[in-house]
Amino acid sequence: MEISIQEEGGISVLQLKGRLDLASGAGVKEQVKQLLGQEKSLIHLNLSQVDFINSSGLGVLVSIMKEVRMRKGRLTLSELVSYVQEIFEITQLSHIFEIYTSQQEALNSYQSVKVS
Amino acid sequence: MATYQFEYSSVLESEEKMLTDIELILSRHLVTGHLNRAFTLAVSEAFTNALTHGNELDPKKTVTLRVTINKTDLIADIIDQGRDALRRIADRKPAQLLSEGGRGVDLIRHYANTARFVEVESGGLLVSIHFSRRDKVAIKTS
Repeated sequence: MEISIQEEGGISVLQLKGRLDLASGAGVKEQVKQLLGQEKSLIHLNLSQVDFINSSGLGVLVSIMKEVRMRKGRLTLSELVSYVQEIFEITQLSHIFEIYTSQQEALNSYQSVKVS
Repeated sequence: MATYQFEYSSVLESEEKMLTDIELILSRHLVTGHLNRAFTLAVSEAFTNALTHGNELDPKKTVTLRVTINKTDLIADIIDQGRDALRRIADRKPAQLLSEGGRGVDLIRHYANTARFVEVESGGLLVSIHFSRRDKVAIKTS
């Protein structure tokens, strides 16, 4: 799995590419852990290039969400391909993650929270 | 009918190898779209369970994957070298919404036409997953 990170207005945006499973999930978790260690707890994951996810990958995302919440941060996801979106719905994880259609929409939502 | 059989060492890297092998088989037999993704996911779930729960990531133990494919059916058998397979299945707890694990078997059951869990003579678990190539894989949201 390839992970690229950039900062967008105080939000750490991670673009994931490839399969999110047991082996690759550890790398994603480690990257987020490093960000949290640097007090960066506003995290956005763009999943547009994740072409495979299984329950181990979902477990990694749940674990990341818990870590972020513990630090009073926020985690958003965007641009899930239809197959990945379907798995979120089957497992009902679509109810607990903040999922946006586009990355821009997700990033705008952080601004709305700041204003209100 | 074609049958393919692979043995994988119980290390994390084997998952990527297995996914590549499945990709090649499905491509060779023109299995595409939703059926391709659902079958790959179901096999991946059983395989990960075999690696981590069955063989407990012991590199001396192997996971066997056997794929049988014809014009109408896709069947995968995943066999680990663990012990007390039936007890493991019986002890399985359903995943809570915020659990990090426990969703694999539910996903297999969701997508496959049938899934059987059988203890082999050595005590390991055989998961046999069947997909019909004639059915459209239903999208069932629970």
